[in-house]
Amino acid sequence: MNFKEEMLCSKSHEYVLKEDNGTCIIGLTDYAIEQLGDIVFLELPAVDDEFSQGDTFANIESVKAASEIYMPISGKVAEINEELIDAPEKLNEDCYENGWLIKVKPTGSEDEFAELLSYTDYKEELE
Amino acid sequence: MVKETYLHDKHVALGAKMVDFAGWHMPVQYSSIIEEHKTVRKDVGLFDVSHMGEVFVSGKEATLFLNKIVPQNIKKLDYEKAVYCQLPNKKGGLIDDLIIYKLGIESYLVICNASRLDEDLNWMVRNKKGMDVKIDNLSHNYSLLAIQGPKAIDLVRKMGYNIPEQKSFTIKPAIIEGIKLLISRTGYTGEDGFELLVENEYSEFLWDKILEEGQEFGIKPIGLGARDTLRLEAALHLYGNDLDENTTPIEAGLSWSVPKDKQDDYNGKEVIMNQIQNGVEKRLIGLVMLDKNIARHGYEVYYNGEKIGQITSGGISPSTGKNIALAYVKNLKEICTGTIVQVMIREKLHDAEIVKRPFVEKKNKIK
Repeated sequence: MNFKEEMLCSKSHEYVLKEDNGTCIIGLTDYAIEQLGDIVFLELPAVDDEFSQGDTFANIESVKAASEIYMPISGKVAEINEELIDAPEKLNEDCYENGWLIKVKPTGSEDEFAELLSYTDYKEELE
Repeated sequence: MVKETYLHDKHVALGAKMVDFAGWHMPVQYSSIIEEHKTVRKDVGLFDVSHMGEVFVSGKEATLFLNKIVPQNIKKLDYEKAVYCQLPNKKGGLIDDLIIYKLGIESYLVICNASRLDEDLNWMVRNKKGMDVKIDNLSHNYSLLAIQGPKAIDLVRKMGYNIPEQKSFTIKPAIIEGIKLLISRTGYTGEDGFELLVENEYSEFLWDKILEEGQEFGIKPIGLGARDTLRLEAALHLYGNDLDENTTPIEAGLSWSVPKDKQDDYNGKEVIMNQIQNGVEKRLIGLVMLDKNIARHGYEVYYNGEKIGQITSGGISPSTGKNIALAYVKNLKEICTGTIVQVMIREKLHDAEIVKRPFVEKKNKIK
């Protein structure tokens, strides 16, 4: 999977990538990780938790500050990236292939995706 | 207007992430706060702390004047010695914390926090009425570079600074790399190290030279992010977090720095001496979190379901791998080293143990 080509991004720096089986991978963009600096804490939701678009689903902390992570779409948690809980610093190396946060079954309408940006547009928006 | 130090362009060229801090555009990190932190604990790091205030106090009554505004006994301060001081208001609350250096007979250098320089100057001017004292704020003329870490001594020796046995908390005029400067064996990291006060025009040359000569010792430039984690591990107070106008030195755990036998009167003396004799209602404690959660400034502290205080500084300790914090709590007799309290983090209580401060062994004991 080529994350940067296929994923969609929110203005609050989360990405969502649709897999062939319909689940969606959600994580934080490399820009967000770069801005946060050294990641030292991550709290993820439980499998089966349900969230609406815009809900806080996780908490992340860098050395300097604590931040919330928001759902780019509505969904029910199918899987969490357990490896990151004990080693959140791995996010600084890779926030895509091995550094995604959760996988969800989307529960909202397709319109939710229309509000998101391609990675290229997202990067442009930042400049 | 955000101010820039003379080294601003150096930081940008080194790829630093810049932030606004106390009215200054300063480097928060160059590579990684954790890496920079470890560099200072293991090797040596270079900091630009030119944002700090330099106030020169001189005149026939300079000693008497300083003795009136700090709890410490400046009459007992020897030539070329430094002392950690506080600047209390009439109620004993702190306007700032300072280091005072004695440069000569009735001649002193006062280094203060960038964020408090204006308040300090106002307070000093109000307190000098009728006294034969000159207060010169020369902050805009000087740059301050800190070389900190176990290899700092090797680096300054290599750079030709060879005064043997310059002790901790002393200051001396010196010539390093052909530049006239003041060098003190002080810092804000808990490590051995030096601070170099140099006229602005030589700061860029000196900065480059230190990085060049320091290469063999593994030197790195260090940002304010690591400066904060380093000082927190050493349990050194940060003004604005751990000290403010409603907190006395006794409540802040700084009794060790306050002489009990000083005869001269000073601002806040009555409150401070009363607290030494009769105790305090709130006091500073050190905490280690017992789970992975991180306590941060402003979080509430609980004991037996009752709110007893709040965190004033908190974060990770890269040297120990633990999460640590400073907090002010009610001075209850049950609250002592080893007591388990709780910190409210995202609406849940998380256990923390009260521990002795500092959180790491200090290499530059003040006393």
